Amino acid sequence: MNSYKTFFLGIIVFFLLPVNAAYAMHISEGILPLKWALIWFIVAMPFVAYGLYQLNKLSSVDISFKPLVGLMAAVVFIISCMPIPVPTAGTCSHPCGTGLSGILVGPAISVLITAVALLIQALFLAHGGLSTWGADIVSMGVMGSFAGFLTFKVLKRLKLNIVIAGFMGGLFADWATYLTTSVELASGIKGDSPFLPLFWKILLAFIPTQLPLGILEGAMTAGMVVLLYKKRPDILVKMRILKPEEVAI
Amino acid sequence: METLFENLKRGHGLSMLDVRAKIAIALVLLVMNMSYKGFVFPLMMFLICLYLCLIIKIPIKIFLLRFSEPLFIVVVILILKVFTAGNEVLFSVKINGINLIAHKDGLMEGLTIGSTIVGGVSIVAALGFSTTFTELMAGLSWFRVPKGFIEISLIAYRYIFVLLEDAMVIYNAQKNRLGYTTIKVGLRSFGTLVGSLVLKAFENSQNITISMLQRGYDGNLPLIKQNKLKSLDILLSLAFLSVMGALWSI
Repeated sequence: MNSYKTFFLGIIVFFLLPVNAAYAMHISEGILPLKWALIWFIVAMPFVAYGLYQLNKLSSVDISFKPLVGLMAAVVFIISCMPIPVPTAGTCSHPCGTGLSGILVGPAISVLITAVALLIQALFLAHGGLSTWGADIVSMGVMGSFAGFLTFKVLKRLKLNIVIAGFMGGLFADWATYLTTSVELASGIKGDSPFLPLFWKILLAFIPTQLPLGILEGAMTAGMVVLLYKKRPDILVKMRILKPEEVAI
Repeated sequence: METLFENLKRGHGLSMLDVRAKIAIALVLLVMNMSYKGFVFPLMMFLICLYLCLIIKIPIKIFLLRFSEPLFIVVVILILKVFTAGNEVLFSVKINGINLIAHKDGLMEGLTIGSTIVGGVSIVAALGFSTTFTELMAGLSWFRVPKGFIEISLIAYRYIFVLLEDAMVIYNAQKNRLGYTTIKVGLRSFGTLVGSLVLKAFENSQNITISMLQRGYDGNLPLIKQNKLKSLDILLSLAFLSVMGALWSI
């Protein structure tokens, strides 16, 4: 009987969950039990607080910094609402945009930006939720931003081209988000079942959308870096992404 | 995006209730909804919130749009739980030689999670549909949410519409010039679209700062000042929560 169960689960996972995964970067309102909602909220808050500390510090030096962060939050909001066709899954999904903001404004501010975008989405679009706000901040904001930022920085330090560094930054930001979302979902809905088997099933279920979507996110991030490099390299210098000598003509 | 329109959120009974009371009620109801073991209370929440949304004249299309995504997740979770969780057999079907076994306890588990999702979304929908974003932010600042967070949220909310319009113009221009015909071209177009949005964000931030400075901006945005909470609002909220608490404990 167990083999039948496993087989059927495989079918569900293969055919149904990819469509679900189209929405699943945001964990929906009510999925997580109260205990897990609180745990993820407690995990997320120090990162948001540090982002606020950084915001106050930087905006005291540059008065235009707060409006910039607000506009970046609007950009992340729009990006994470954009339906992108995913050919392998035959559906639409959406990128996170947090790798991009992590690279541009740093991971601490990027967590704050994600928290703002997620709050607006939860309140007015039912993307994510208020009870799952903490979990969504951890997966998209913390993991996405830090993975994107660190990957970009390490690859830049290894003297790789900014296009490749941008691509890999976006790719790993997306995959780190999906890995964390799988952990959160599995721990939240497992009930009395063991954690690991459900975690692997959810992780596998995400693959048909998240693998190509990660590539899309990578291409999007690389495209953004290239455009800025060509049109406004001064911004990349100002945000300490490139050194002045790297953009000198 | 239609659910963001502010004009839906004014001039009705619920807009008269103090925003702080609405936020407090919504948070308490969310906790009740999540901690309830069963599906009666969440479904009751759904019906109450649906009724509230209908009496404040939220168009049914917009209401259904809000539920389209969560309902899909509910269906998937229900299927998963029915066929993969539990031990008590409900029924079994043979499809292409594969015996699919549905479990009664799995169904109950799925219904519980599904109803909690529906209940939770209904509560947040009722809050979102009945309150403007500015009021919500003013309410949150009363609850001691840091000012920096509120300011960023207000700026973001204001400029979502501006940037979205820009994004649509760029996207339509790209589409008209066959910018999304192949995967490779589509990837490049999308990268350019996002890059252009980021560029606009940087450029606008300078212009916005200048115009804000001209209007007396000193690095802090002024927020709506909250009056003292009215006794009537407190009484109404407590009465409503008491009834809900009684229903929750049954």
